[in-house]
Amino acid sequence: MEAILIHYMAPIMFASLVVFLLLGYPVAFSLAANGLIFALIGIEFGLFRPDFLQALPERIYGIMNNDVLLAIPFFTFMGLILERSGMAEDLLDTIGQLFGTVRGGLAYAVVFVGALLAATTGVVAASVISMGLISLPIMLRYGYDRRLAAGVIAASGTLAQIIPPSLVLIVMADQLGRSVGDMYEGAFLPGLMLGGLYAGYVLLATVLFPKFAPGLPAKAIGYREDDGRRGLTSLAVLFVVSSAVAVYAMRDSTTHGADYVVFVMFIGIVFAFCAAVINWLCGRLLGLRFLSRLAQQVTFVMVPPLFLIFLVLGTIFIGLATPTEGGAMGASGALVLALIKRRLTWDLVRQAAEATAKLSSFVVFILIGARVFSLTFYGVDGHRWVEDLLISLPGGTVGFLAFVNVFIFFLAFFLDFFEIAFIVIPLLGPAAERLGIDLIWFGVVLGVNMQTSFMHPPFGFALFYLRSVAPREPYVDRVSGMRTEPVTTGQIYWGAIPFVLIQCIAVALVIAFPALVMHYKGAGARIDPSKIQIDIPPPEIPPPLDLGEPPKIQ
Amino acid sequence: MQGLLRLSRAIDAVNFRIGKVLSWLILVVVIVSATNATVRKLFDTSSNAWLELQWVLFGAIFLLCSPWTLLSNEHIRIDIVNNLMPKRWRDGIDVFGHTFFLLPLTIVMIVTSVPFFIRSFAINEQSMNAGGLPQWPAKSLVVIGFFLLFWQGISELIKRVAVMRGLIPDPYTASAAHSAAEAEAERILAVAKTDDQ
Repeated sequence: MEAILIHYMAPIMFASLVVFLLLGYPVAFSLAANGLIFALIGIEFGLFRPDFLQALPERIYGIMNNDVLLAIPFFTFMGLILERSGMAEDLLDTIGQLFGTVRGGLAYAVVFVGALLAATTGVVAASVISMGLISLPIMLRYGYDRRLAAGVIAASGTLAQIIPPSLVLIVMADQLGRSVGDMYEGAFLPGLMLGGLYAGYVLLATVLFPKFAPGLPAKAIGYREDDGRRGLTSLAVLFVVSSAVAVYAMRDSTTHGADYVVFVMFIGIVFAFCAAVINWLCGRLLGLRFLSRLAQQVTFVMVPPLFLIFLVLGTIFIGLATPTEGGAMGASGALVLALIKRRLTWDLVRQAAEATAKLSSFVVFILIGARVFSLTFYGVDGHRWVEDLLISLPGGTVGFLAFVNVFIFFLAFFLDFFEIAFIVIPLLGPAAERLGIDLIWFGVVLGVNMQTSFMHPPFGFALFYLRSVAPREPYVDRVSGMRTEPVTTGQIYWGAIPFVLIQCIAVALVIAFPALVMHYKGAGARIDPSKIQIDIPPPEIPPPLDLGEPPKIQ
Repeated sequence: MQGLLRLSRAIDAVNFRIGKVLSWLILVVVIVSATNATVRKLFDTSSNAWLELQWVLFGAIFLLCSPWTLLSNEHIRIDIVNNLMPKRWRDGIDVFGHTFFLLPLTIVMIVTSVPFFIRSFAINEQSMNAGGLPQWPAKSLVVIGFFLLFWQGISELIKRVAVMRGLIPDPYTASAAHSAAEAEAERILAVAKTDDQ
């Protein structure tokens, strides 16, 4: 009996973990308790020395010591400050005006702004709530299909999960033992691709069902010239001139790839911003303007997020800052932006700091729980049991990837990404590495997959956030004066389903085209030597890397 | 029971204060870290003491704010099965969890981390990095954090038993993460409304 128990200790421990977690007691403590109970059993059976648990404080000290985790409070704090500084509102308002008359224009604006916010904050709640408050009422006013409107808002909000700087990528990099900067570079193109897929879905919907997403009537569009023209030409000219100036300024530069894009973007923004400021001053003092109102407005709202993207992602990509430093700079930048917009109050900072402190605390405590659990689980060779189990899956690498992705997809119904990242990922990592899978690529695939945990009806958090701001009762629209029906919970759920499918397609695309991720290795990188010794060459092996393609920003 | 509830209120008040005050450290860490990064780039110099201060402060935040997070019921739960159960069962699970998961964990952590701290304190253990901070203050945070968490566990246990006996109203509304999301939405709505005016 005792021998059987010792032999099957790891599977028993794993099964009891599932029961403990499903009880609904806070995850951090259930995990830790599971580890402690089995440690005591192990000591009783003589598997461990009596002083086995003495290792615990050192493990917690190791977590404190980890600089990478510091990026979590920084990016959270930055996101919370930005969320209340009105950046999302300004962007949605202006970009909505810009795309408004196109069929499906508001939906494209939501995807575009969602991606832009994602590249600055990394907090899902902020994006979904802002877009639900601002864009949803306008979409309902002009007769958008409620399912399409709800789905596109919820899904675009979750882009914050996969487009860097996102919390999930930090945690993933930490758990897989890879650098956060590499994870960010690897996730960038897949993130943009997802935005593209969402926009593609909107296009498809408008082609098949034109009534689902009508363009706004021309009279609903603001920022016009005095003679009634929209001033799009002026915007196009400003864009082309700024790009040309930036490229010209960089003609002698020796930088290439991501660095080049980052610098060009920075110069272009500064130029466009200066032009808009001069235009504004001229208009004020002389009554003469050389840019249209629309062009000026678009420049003013686009500069803060683009500047933050430069400050945070740009500096990380070109190696100027570590992700932790980038986070700190971004948080300071967000404070400065809020100050300039005169939205910075002590109360706002206090609320953001308190929310950040609690979030950091529960996230790190899940990690503490996971470490206490893993001390025992690894002690009984549980990691080896899982690894052998995974490696013995039929189909080698392909079988492994298929199994893991289906597994995570279903786990995402029940768990959110912190739990998956801290409990499941450390068990999958070693097996993936033994199969010769690049861990950054593996992390990005799982990241795209885990994004569905926000969209799965009925527990997806993005759906829940949207539900909390979407109208529940019929209401009279402020502008049109028409009675508007509420958005039902069923409509939100149905709206999310196509995007869950898109997510599955994206997972398949990232698996099929590893180059989307592998460019993180940059110029001069060769295939990892560890990969050459694989018995069954998996189709996922990265092709000789594309060296020219820089991650596109914007 | 009234005496215990008074104890629980006292514990709550202390941990609530500690959490509220220490959350300001987030702002301090942001400033320290941003300054470190700027100084490193501009003057090509850095101080190990200031770099280490970053993670010591972060350690203080997550360890010492965790009792407050527990008090506000914001430690994540997997509430899928839990939500289907009758309220009495859920209360029972909390009592069980506090007694057999949380309290034993905090006791084990206190028992192991006190000698861990004392060893460090006795030799006035210094940082491995030149010019770094002494190590024992950071190590003391582990002891203090779990000590506070132990008392918060006692307080939560008292409150849960009192709730089951109908002595006090349930301090938790709906499920925690969801109510946090709703509160967040309300805050943003409030900001949006003041902008309209």
